[in-house]
Amino acid sequence: MGERPPVAAARTVAGGALPAAAGPAVGIGWRPEIDLTVERLPGVDFVEVVAENVDPARLPESLRVLRARGVPVIPHGVGLGIGGAEHPDPRRLARLADCARALEAPLVSEHLAFVRAGGMEAGHLLPVPRTRAALAVVAENVRRAQEALPVPLALENVAALFGWPEDEMTEAAFLGELVEMTGVGLLVDVANLYTNQVNLGLSATAALDGLPLSELAYVHVAGGHSRGGLWHDTHTARVPEEVLDILAELCARVDPPGVLLEWDDDYPSDGALERELGRIRGAMSGV
Amino acid sequence: MSEDAAREALAGAQAALLAALVAGEEAPPGFDRERLLIQESGLISKRRRTVARLRPDLAALLGDGFAAEFDAYARGRPKPPGGSHADARDFADRLRAAGRLPKESVTPGPRRWSPFARRR
Repeated sequence: MGERPPVAAARTVAGGALPAAAGPAVGIGWRPEIDLTVERLPGVDFVEVVAENVDPARLPESLRVLRARGVPVIPHGVGLGIGGAEHPDPRRLARLADCARALEAPLVSEHLAFVRAGGMEAGHLLPVPRTRAALAVVAENVRRAQEALPVPLALENVAALFGWPEDEMTEAAFLGELVEMTGVGLLVDVANLYTNQVNLGLSATAALDGLPLSELAYVHVAGGHSRGGLWHDTHTARVPEEVLDILAELCARVDPPGVLLEWDDDYPSDGALERELGRIRGAMSGV
Repeated sequence: MSEDAAREALAGAQAALLAALVAGEEAPPGFDRERLLIQESGLISKRRRTVARLRPDLAALLGDGFAAEFDAYARGRPKPPGGSHADARDFADRLRAAGRLPKESVTPGPRRWSPFARRR
């Protein structure tokens, strides 16, 4: 009673394995500000933690509680800058690897983005120029990261406010090539697809058509704000119906191993977060 | 193009773009300048929110003027090495130099509550 399904029921995915709960796995981003909430919320099948915010040698008590319950915890990096011109920093990779080991994580995720260049930090995930030449560089970066990590790596599509003038292919095509060249897994952020649809006129449906969804590790969902005709993916608000529609569209094409809600600030009540998880489940089951 | 050459070209392109976004440099040709300005402001807002979390005393002190003061500090000035803590420190230094900080709020932290402080 109350036990998790046997491991045999686990769905193995490219890039890792999330244990199957009674239904499709739904998760939430663990943050220190909502640690007890995440522990208490019913139906949290897995969580994700921002890798840069935890010390693998001193894991927060709350994450240890979740691990003891068998809840998978995925380290999610934001500072590696795997789309940068430098080889990925071995110290950052070692820390990601330590996080994965300390959390017994099934996989690690990062972004197809650059975060620093020319000695400057962006403090943000910026889009990579999607050219053949850049693809060769990023693919080599991904291979180096994969060699340093004890578990599979998945890369996430980013939300952008601008494109590069030299772009030769879509982000979906670029990620598809990367998957082909390196075997990296996919973390599809449907809120980022929505952001790019609003801000750059790039169809989210076309992106889903282009992405190698067979290599899907899991999915991100989040809310944001509209300002001046642009969508800002702030992770601080209710998920808009349009984002849930894209999630439903994705689920019509593939059974995602897991779908995770990101909420990063202006935290609502526990009840509101529970309702958001319910809305996500609804979109996943076509309700 | 060899991978090394591609890496070098990518380094130059990303550095030029980032310089436009965080160091007040001219935007590289071909980009949508309006969007880069929006991105530049977005990056400053993100820095400002982090500094406000790290130094609630500064946010409280400046009140409604916090955003404008921080923007004046951060525009064209990349985040210093040392990350957000260094950013908060440099912002406080600038406010102090401008005479905007009362003396007692300059060094927040445990020292003021240390039981040993009185013995010094």
